[in-house]
This record gives sequence, C-alpha cells and structure tokens, in this order.
Amino acid sequence: METPKLSPVPRARRSFLRENPSVLWFMLFLGLFTLLVTILSEGVGLGVMSTSLVKVLGMTLCLCLIAVAMDVVWGYCGILSLGHFAFFGLGGYAIGMWLMYARTDGVIRDSLARGDIPPTEAEVAEAVAAQIFGVVGSSELPLIWTFAHSLPLQLAFVVLVPGLLALGFGWLAFRSRVTGVYLSILTQAMTLALALYLFQNDTGLRGNNGLSGLQNIPGLLDVPQAVLSVWFFWASALALGLGYVLFAWVLSGKFGSVVRAIRDNEARVRFLGYNVEGYKLFVFTLTAVVAGLAGALYYPQAGIINPAELAPIASIYLAVWVAIGGRGRLYGAVIGAASVSLLSSWLTGGGAPNIDLGFYRIVWTDWWLVLLGLGFVAVTLFFPKGIGGLFDLLVRKQK
Amino acid sequence: MRTLLEVSGVSVTFDGFRAINNLSISIGEPELRAVIGPNGAGKTTFMDIVTGKTKPDSGKVLWGERSVDLLKLSESQIARAGIGRKFQKPTVFEEQSVRDNLSMALRNKRGPFSVLMWRAGAADDARIQELAAEIGLSERLDDMAGALSHGQKQWLEIGMLLAQDPRLLLVDEPAAGMTPAERGHTTELLKRAAQTRAVMVIEHDMEFIRRLDCRVTVLHEGSVLAEGSLDHVTKDQQVIDVYLGR
Repeated sequence: METPKLSPVPRARRSFLRENPSVLWFMLFLGLFTLLVTILSEGVGLGVMSTSLVKVLGMTLCLCLIAVAMDVVWGYCGILSLGHFAFFGLGGYAIGMWLMYARTDGVIRDSLARGDIPPTEAEVAEAVAAQIFGVVGSSELPLIWTFAHSLPLQLAFVVLVPGLLALGFGWLAFRSRVTGVYLSILTQAMTLALALYLFQNDTGLRGNNGLSGLQNIPGLLDVPQAVLSVWFFWASALALGLGYVLFAWVLSGKFGSVVRAIRDNEARVRFLGYNVEGYKLFVFTLTAVVAGLAGALYYPQAGIINPAELAPIASIYLAVWVAIGGRGRLYGAVIGAASVSLLSSWLTGGGAPNIDLGFYRIVWTDWWLVLLGLGFVAVTLFFPKGIGGLFDLLVRKQK
Repeated sequence: MRTLLEVSGVSVTFDGFRAINNLSISIGEPELRAVIGPNGAGKTTFMDIVTGKTKPDSGKVLWGERSVDLLKLSESQIARAGIGRKFQKPTVFEEQSVRDNLSMALRNKRGPFSVLMWRAGAADDARIQELAAEIGLSERLDDMAGALSHGQKQWLEIGMLLAQDPRLLLVDEPAAGMTPAERGHTTELLKRAAQTRAVMVIEHDMEFIRRLDCRVTVLHEGSVLAEGSLDHVTKDQQVIDVYLGR
C-alpha cells in the first residue's frame, strides 16, 4: 500500500469561520440590514420607515430565528417536528405574563395612590388580579402567575418551560423510537393539545383573549413606541445573529457529522456506538429553547398573544418556510422564513393590489394560500434544495 | 484462545417462520471464522441478534470475561462493548467526506456533550491517516464518500470498523462486488485484523473462504450443520446435500 501523505495543515486545525464562510457572509448581511433599518427608522433615523414596518421587520427576524432552529431539527437531524411553534408560543406567554402583570400593577398603584389612604399590598394584588382576569370572570390570580411580578424568573421560564416540555416529550417519543411521519403527527398533537388547553378560560392565561398590551414595556413607558421598536429590532437581530452562530458552531464539528448521519441512516449510527436517542433529544431540546427565546422577542413587538398562535397550522407553515428556503443550510431557512412571511403579510395585509381580470377578480387574501401551496409543491418537485440551492450554482461558477 | 462470544440455544421466529432454531455458536479471541450457508440459513439474522437489532425469543448471548448478557444491552451499548459490524450493502454516509466517516467511527467518547466539544487532536489525525493508508483511500480523505466506487465504499466501511477498534468484527459479505485484486487485499486486511481480535465473516464465495484459510461454520435452517476446516465441512455429506450439491 502507498505510504500516507501527511498534509501540512490538517483540515481539523482550521478555524471555525474559515470552515464556514457562509457565517461571515450572513453576519455581514445582517449587520448591513440592521444598519439600514436603523438609519431609515422613524424612531432614531431619518423617519422614512414607519414604526409599524420596523416592528414587522423585527418580528420577521424572530421568525427567521425559529426557522433556523427548525432547519437544525429537520434539515440536519431529520426530525420533522410540526410542533415547534408551541415552544415559540410558550416563550411568548412566559414573557407576556410579566409584561402584563408589571404594567397592570403600575397602573393600579397610580390610580390607588390618588385615594386618601395609601393602599395595602393585598389590595393592590387583588386589584391587579381583578383587572387582568375580569375578562374571564375571575378575580383570583391563578397559581401559575405566582412569579409574574419577577422579570428574572419569567425570563428563566422563557427558557425552562419550552426546554422542559421538549425534554419530556422528546424523551418519551425518542425512547419509544417513534420516527418519521408518526413523530410529526405526535408533535402536531402536542401543539394542538396545548392550544386547546390554553383556549379554556380557567387555564389561567385568559383563554382566547390571550395576553395583550405587550408592546408597553413596564419601566420604559416614557420611551415612544417608535424608539422602542428600533430597540426590539436590534435585540431581534442580535438574537438571530447569536442563534445562527451557535447552531453553525454546534453543527460544524463531529457533532454535526453525527447529527447528519442520524438523518441519513440512524440504524448505522447506532452500530457505531452512538446513542441516537440522546442526540435527538439534545437537538430537539436545544432548538425548542431557541424557539422559546424567539417567541419572547416576537410577542412584545406583536403586542398580543393568544392560543391561536399555537395552532397546528403555524408549525406547518414553519416547515413550509424551511422547505422553500432550502433544508440543511441555515441561511436557507432565513431566506425562506423572511421571504414567505413578508410576502404573506404584504399580500394578506392589503398591501398588494387586487387584479381585476374582467371576468374574475383575484383577491390576494383569498388566493395567497393557493399561491403558497402551489409554491410549496413546485419547490418540492422541481427545486428540492429550495431557494438556498441557488447559491450552489453561484459557488460552482466561481470554481 | 479464550471464548469471547458465546451464543447458546437461541431461537427467533418471524411470523411463524423459524429464522434461527436453537443455534449455538461461539468464537474465541483472536480467531478468524467464516460462516457459510444457503440463502435463508439465518446468517444475517444471527448477526442481527448479536448486535442487538433483533431480540430472540429464547436463548443466551454472553460476551467477554465477565459474561455480560448482550440481550439486555441496546445496539449502541453493544457497539461500545466492542462489537463492530459491516453490512452486506456498504452503508457509509455518502454526503460526508471520507475523513468525517472515519472520524465518527474513531474510538472516542460517544456522548453528545463530549462529541460537541471534540476537535481532532494530532493522535486522531495520525490514526485517520494510518487507517486511510490501510484501506487505500489516503488520496481521497476529503472527497465525499458518495463519490467512491463500490469497492472503495466496502473498504471505507471496513476502515470505519477498524477505527472503532472492536474486539469482535462481524463482516457480512465483504467481497461482494469487488475485483479479484480488491478481494486479495480484503483477505489480507481481514487476516491481519484476526491476529489480534475475533473476526467472523459471512461469505458465499468459496474461493474467498479458501483464501481466508480458517475454521468454517455451516448454517442451515437456523442452526449449525457442521463446523471445522473447509476441507472437513466440504466432505460432510449433509453439507453436500443441502448446500454444495445444488
């Protein structure tokens, strides 16, 4: 046999960024985009871009972040989870509870202070509970609101609640070796069950009213929404950037190798001595936590969260975004989520002009879903690599 | 030579069909053993049982000095205990490089957290180079495994098996689809591996088995029909009737 040739620089020694040039490109693009929006914004810039558009863009970045998480769990690890929006929603609820409680608390204290005798703590708490839960015919603060007054604890719940739910669900499902379409159905059932549970008035999260007024940040009430929207946009961009780097790093080494191997042939990975279930659980839980964080940034910009956000269809859209953008590449997920969700809000938000064909009027709010469905079918059939696949052509031309 | 793996009285039934019928077989360390038998004799099912893919209805599978009961372990635990398997159809990870394939198989910690922090050290690189040289893929370390020829994929899989550094190698039809020169090389590789470990080869090709020059076990209808040198078993009347005569 020929003698082994030792290459002067073993591949494994090269730096993470040189191994993953797309990370640098993505950061550059995200940075420029953030700068552009900041300059154009109403709050801190030239005032060309409306506050509501800044909010839409900030929310879109959060959707990109959950799409990246979805790509990791589906595109890389091969688990078609159709329930990741449940984790997104739970993150939103966790932060929403603090936002609503602390703001109501402030308002109540202000109004009670105008009375002759200063209110006791018990009176304040009672008034806050009546204010928040009057809408569902209750004046008791439910048990799950015990820590709603504390920002650090509710922030911890943003991570813990989705993380523990994913850990428990994943442990049960993966341990029983539920895979493929059966797992997808289970995840749908999970998000549906959660949504139905939250819809009930006595669940303690205000039923179908959900949590509202989340755009008012306690302690920052003097800051105009125009400025606040830019701050949230920055936070969303930062979260997307950090999430992207985190996942790119996780997937860059041998861990990424094993995860992709599980996607391609999980039985073979077992015979190599890897505990496949442990890896799936790790990926499922990590992506659920990131989804929760994305939700916690999204809903203060949206201003309201209700159980419909956790409906099964939301998680299916998420899979569609990733499929259209291109599975198995992180920037593909970002492209898919950004383009499809922005197109969707443009077409369904009345932004796009309806087309009058004389004999028929194309109303985009009705036809958008048809268009999306056709787009999904077309991508699946003709461009299985999605929009991100176009970059392969670009790279090949350079060589 | 000590007994490394002892399978005794194992039976397994699939939908009423007895794939393995009261099978008893053992292998020592180091030893090279060939397993032959007509189609449906239960050769692959036997490997499935040893590697934990199939759980038998009855019988015992004991491993190593401490007689660990393999039936209680999962596939990955069995692999970590020191049993490596090469499949009949080469199963390498086609969308990853030869280096990544070998690196995954290297004998390192297998837990998610250790693997997350793992970066190839000098010893790992050297080991990968050494393995690549042994399987004749030194020049192709950074190529995708999917771009390899059929024979090269077979070798890559053997290389991954060696990288695991197992005490027992179960090899299912290693020479299938190989050119005569490649077969010669594969024979050498297996014989060398068998100097320090137990190697069990399932093969159909009599010429290949003759070159392995080892003890042969003949399976038929899920149990051992004959065992001994190749010359001994080929003279056995029962073996001639069920297998060679056809």
